[in-house]
Amino acid sequence: MTARADFLARIRGEMAKTRGLFPAAAAERPARPRERLDVLRRELIERWPQSLERFRVEFERVAGVFHRVASASEVPAVLEGICRAGGAHSVVTWATPRLGIDAGPTLAAAGIAVHAMPATVPPLEERRRLREVIAHAEVGVTGAELAIAETGTLVLRSAAGQPRSTSLLPACHVALFDRAALVETLEQVGIALEAWHEGVPPEGQGAVINFITGPSRTADIELTLTRGVHGPKEVHAIFVDAGLRAGG
Amino acid sequence: MSEPLITTPLRERAQQALGDRFLHEALDIATTKFIDLRREAFGDFPQGEGLRDRARAIKEATLQQLDRHLERLIDNVERLGGHVHFATTADEARDVILDIARRTGARMAVKSKSMATEEIHLNDALAAAGVTPVETDLGEYIIQLAHERPSHIIAPAIHKTKGQVAELFARELKREVAADPEVLTRIARAELREKFLQADLGITGANFAVADTGTVVLVTNEGNGRMVTSLPRVHVAVMGVEKVVPSMTDLMVFLSVLAKSATGQKLSVYTTLVQGPRRAHELEGPDEFHLVLLDNGRIAQIGGALREALYCLRCGACLNVCPVYRQIGGHAYGYTYPGPIGILLTAMLNGTRSVKELAHASSLCGACADACPVRIDIPKMLIELRKEVDEAKLAPWPERVVFKAFARLLRLPALYRLGGPLGRLLQRPFVRGGRIRALPLFFGHWTRTRDLPPVAARTFQERWTALEREIR
Repeated sequence: MTARADFLARIRGEMAKTRGLFPAAAAERPARPRERLDVLRRELIERWPQSLERFRVEFERVAGVFHRVASASEVPAVLEGICRAGGAHSVVTWATPRLGIDAGPTLAAAGIAVHAMPATVPPLEERRRLREVIAHAEVGVTGAELAIAETGTLVLRSAAGQPRSTSLLPACHVALFDRAALVETLEQVGIALEAWHEGVPPEGQGAVINFITGPSRTADIELTLTRGVHGPKEVHAIFVDAGLRAGG
Repeated sequence: MSEPLITTPLRERAQQALGDRFLHEALDIATTKFIDLRREAFGDFPQGEGLRDRARAIKEATLQQLDRHLERLIDNVERLGGHVHFATTADEARDVILDIARRTGARMAVKSKSMATEEIHLNDALAAAGVTPVETDLGEYIIQLAHERPSHIIAPAIHKTKGQVAELFARELKREVAADPEVLTRIARAELREKFLQADLGITGANFAVADTGTVVLVTNEGNGRMVTSLPRVHVAVMGVEKVVPSMTDLMVFLSVLAKSATGQKLSVYTTLVQGPRRAHELEGPDEFHLVLLDNGRIAQIGGALREALYCLRCGACLNVCPVYRQIGGHAYGYTYPGPIGILLTAMLNGTRSVKELAHASSLCGACADACPVRIDIPKMLIELRKEVDEAKLAPWPERVVFKAFARLLRLPALYRLGGPLGRLLQRPFVRGGRIRALPLFFGHWTRTRDLPPVAARTFQERWTALEREIR
């Protein structure tokens, strides 16, 4: 293995040899990303119905299934419908406070087992058991930090109570979101990403951010489009008009 | 040198590919489809052209301060609890990864698609060290079962029929398998799901790495990139030094053009941003995260003739539009990276000598440069390589002699004028149907794959002189 100093020194040596460079600049990032994001959010909230409509169109274009409900109290019934349609008997969800709803009672009454993930990390033994639970669940329910209208993409962050595999191992992924999550473009996502990384990260933040644009797919055999190769075969998004978060 | 020795000349490899009817059909369908998808994606996206310019400018700006960006990346990855390793050669990169495997007692490694690990021939080294490598991208899984190498940067198994894939699966699983992509995909899902859950080591490449935040970015459609970075105890990412980008804002510019160029999607299904190992309060994720920064010939090109090839995003768009690639496919190129950009990358990784034939496997039509999301001037660098091949006296001597004579001829007007009548006399026995299709002796090598236009009955100069006389 080469040492860091030697490796970088070689790069500097080669850089010194370059001639005739044309002026070029990286993209300009916002000076105060959090402030910029706040301003953006205020602008976006004015236009959320258009953003939502564009999101729906794009999400359906990538084979997502879109649902819309008036309030969070209607979400469990939609979940029950999704489970019944897919013959699912086992559901994993993000920790209830993270999700903003508790579908447990409704689904349990319908004979569907619900496993809400813990908000704190249990000992290794229990972590192994939970992995089995997630791996055998048929439906995974999560929130979404952002919903990108331009591409029909859901952005999820891992964190305490928000394990990565809830949206990955079950064959069906359901994401809940509200108007606070809507952004219009990939460029705006750039502002959000800059803001999330400004200063000290919030307590409980995880190490992974995932952009999810429809169900898992491949075209590796004779370019035939096939869904659900490793990740979910189905992705649902449920939009809650009245909001999921307190006051949202 | 890390590449296996290629024993058959390009001419024979190309001939073999040209004779493969199925390969031809598959290539034709695949590349045409990719071209259409890409065109549609950019057709609906008027800002695309401007974003390509921005993406190019970011790559250039990053290279101009590569040391600083890499230092920031390294510092941030370490701050997040990751380990960074530096590999000057493919050997070093393999050793670093084998060390990690040995130290963590890994028995099985699941891999998501990565050209960088193909480039360093990691799988053989892992297997030799007692670690079973499992490719999890469906296309890569297929070619691993077939003991082959990828034939396209983003669609590694496009040269295989569903029938061939079914046979491979049947042999592996020892049971009948239907030749239906749906069925085959379901089988691969079940087989590989077990491996994801068992493996100790997850190995990936990196599409980008963001210096500002110490983030390694993986773009996949299948979700295997997410599996590999979430389930095993240890995650190792291998990336060429040129993959670093300064900020998240820059990253979004690249994401806006990458998938459109590759598959015509607005975004690939999964874009995964990995920031070090699992945090203490997370339920899942690897306990260890390693980033291997790979040189392997790249650094020498920062100030070299192939500098611009360091912009490459590995989207594969230049392969699909290349008239040569579309005829011979990826394997005939003989090295890890096929297609027009592949010739440049092969020269970068293995030296100019390795492309003395390949440098000519291009018609210089420029379709590759048009398709490239970061507008890499591939034809210009191919000409540069041809010059180097010539100067290093790697080209066959008759070719060098003929071209030298021709160059002299062009510089002497009197001799050039004489060339017209002389050429007409000499070519007489060889012109068939207005073309020179075959020449005798060693000149025959040239006309084997090319027709030469004959010297015209009246050359331009002759006609010009006549015209001038008429006007006067």
